[in-house]
Amino acid sequence: MAPKPTTSYRRFYDVNGWLFVSVALGLIGVFMAYPIVRSLWMSLHAGQGTVVEFVGMGNVVRLASDPVFLKALQNTCIFLVIQVPIMLLLALVMASCLNMPNLRFRGLLRTAVFLPCVTSLVAYSVVFKSMFSYDGLVNHALAWLGLIGEPIPWLNDPFWSKVVIIIAITWRWTGYNMIFYLAAMQNIDKSIYEAARIDGISAYRRFVSITIPNLKPVILFTTVTSTIGTLQLFDEPMNITTVGTVFSDNTLTLSMYIYNLSFKFVPNFGYAATVSYVIVLLVAALAAIQFYAARERN
Amino acid sequence: MNFAKRFTIRSTAAAMMGLALGTTGLMTSHAANAGEVTIWAWDPNFNIAIMQEAAKRYTAKNPGVTFKIVDMAKADVEQKLQTTLASGVTKNLPDIVLVEDYNAPKYLRSFPGAFESLSGKVDHKAFANYKVNLMTMGGKVYGLPFDTGTTGMYYRSDLIKQAGFTDKDMQNITWDRYLEIGKQVEAKTGKKMFAMDPQDIASIRIMMQSAGRWYFDKDGKLDIKNNPALKAALETQVKFMKTGVYKPTSGWGEWVGALNKGDVASVITGVWITGSVKAEASQSGKWAVAATPRLNVPGSTNASNLGGSSWYVLAAGKEKAAAADFLNQIYAKDVDFYQTILQSRGAVGSLLASRNGKAYSEADPFFGGDKVWQKYSDWMSKVPSVNYGIYTAEGDAAVAAQLPGLAQGMPVEKALENIHNQLASQIK
Repeated sequence: MAPKPTTSYRRFYDVNGWLFVSVALGLIGVFMAYPIVRSLWMSLHAGQGTVVEFVGMGNVVRLASDPVFLKALQNTCIFLVIQVPIMLLLALVMASCLNMPNLRFRGLLRTAVFLPCVTSLVAYSVVFKSMFSYDGLVNHALAWLGLIGEPIPWLNDPFWSKVVIIIAITWRWTGYNMIFYLAAMQNIDKSIYEAARIDGISAYRRFVSITIPNLKPVILFTTVTSTIGTLQLFDEPMNITTVGTVFSDNTLTLSMYIYNLSFKFVPNFGYAATVSYVIVLLVAALAAIQFYAARERN
Repeated sequence: MNFAKRFTIRSTAAAMMGLALGTTGLMTSHAANAGEVTIWAWDPNFNIAIMQEAAKRYTAKNPGVTFKIVDMAKADVEQKLQTTLASGVTKNLPDIVLVEDYNAPKYLRSFPGAFESLSGKVDHKAFANYKVNLMTMGGKVYGLPFDTGTTGMYYRSDLIKQAGFTDKDMQNITWDRYLEIGKQVEAKTGKKMFAMDPQDIASIRIMMQSAGRWYFDKDGKLDIKNNPALKAALETQVKFMKTGVYKPTSGWGEWVGALNKGDVASVITGVWITGSVKAEASQSGKWAVAATPRLNVPGSTNASNLGGSSWYVLAAGKEKAAAADFLNQIYAKDVDFYQTILQSRGAVGSLLASRNGKAYSEADPFFGGDKVWQKYSDWMSKVPSVNYGIYTAEGDAAVAAQLPGLAQGMPVEKALENIHNQLASQIK
């Protein structure tokens, strides 16, 4: 059956329209589509450097029995499950505190909370590394307070090194998420709060029953972006807990493993590409779950 | 050269510096003039300064050749090299590049044809055997051996005496004896025997190589489960952790700080540490040097190696002929050059003839008038040769992963099994 000459159909064949978008399309093709397709093709190969062969699904099979990959995945998931909720809750609480109309020095406080996320990733990591070293500020302070007898091996211990990373990312990114919440809170109609106050609703209930439901789209947004950020976690573990020749196994993340496979180990770009696609799939799956959980129920 | 320091450089400033320097390097090597040899290396105080000295000497005799020495962080040299070689676009590569010895077999194997064979252009018999072996593939020798990481034991003779030992007690000892002395030192002086990052595997590598073993055997096959040297090394490491004979540190700065502040009585590492030990002038005369401890396994010697690097000529370089000639003229023949870099930078080269020079027989008042360099060149010729294979970084990661478990009492056999399994899954 012949297509009906609708407006959109005519638009499809309009050369001028294509000319307008051709530059953008070309750039997208070269710098987005090509690398994606090429890396997928790459992930079907394995070998050493330029000596590669086609292995099909071989890299995926290898993933399942690779203890380092599983360790990196486990570490990344621990960071994700513990750090993201702590950070978002903290950001919500801070935002609602800083949103109080009668708060003094509001501008100053907001800037102070936001400030960490404009500092350089490497610079702040180096500061954290020195603060949490054996002879560092944190151990000295804890010893002075009489809380610890022996210095805590913050950067070497499997448990404490994860704690340091979680503290570091929380410090860096809480303010960033807070700004989103703050902006969204200012869009909530004040009359709702006024009505609630007149009805004698407590501050806690107002927060839970008015603020949070109204912030739902923004909370979803921050959850998804924080999930993506944590799954790609690299700078902090790399700069804070790396010692000697190899990345510490205690804080090895998927991104660090990709770096290892490409630059530290015998270069196996195919396998590294496969691990990157694991991150892509995880991001997609988790985002889908989060969208599903936050959907509007009628 | 200075092995641990490079990691610190990488982990801190690399990200920022690398970008800036890296891009300049890329753009400038484009504009290379005819007769300009481009060189990539790291560490301005060591490799770069030494290369500048070498270039000066060569240009004096060959005015037609100029040099462009690009300084980058170590990680950036490695990354740029790996990515450029992998991309197959060779025009941005330098003529000469510095490669750490542990990485050399990996590059040679992963990027066949990328490096120029120097067999026939350089007399490799003139160099320490173990350095030449690791750059040999398929009967061809690909690099020019540069500095060694020959290890030794630096100790504070004043503290050792205080603990009731003489300098004689420190010569050619075993690691177990070292540990006993360490316990005494702590009991008598209150100082720890040495400083160590509990996650660093440097000492394990030193112990393994002293017995001529590695993660792989001579044929490149995995050698973990029945490797007595690795087993003994892990057991020694466990003893360190259990007796708490060391001061835990994290990072290069704290580690060197422990030496310079006088917190520890000794350090066992590569010769490149000399400059850092001597940096604390107030301790002059208090330090002495003895041979590396050996393991209680057959074949273990009182000589080993940690780190070290060599120069490689890239096959795609426009000036590769000039580059090879330059390396041959200076690094393979100029004995006087080696005296200069030993005195100015503390660099112990692996050219055997350089040991006959004047600087090598001079006494050093910092080490109580000892002829330290002569000792090092003697140990250098005794370092057992091992096959690093191409998977050393993977091996290090596998060993490091087991250290927390060992500290908590996991049996060494179990750790060896885990290391074997992890490595076996990594080296596909």
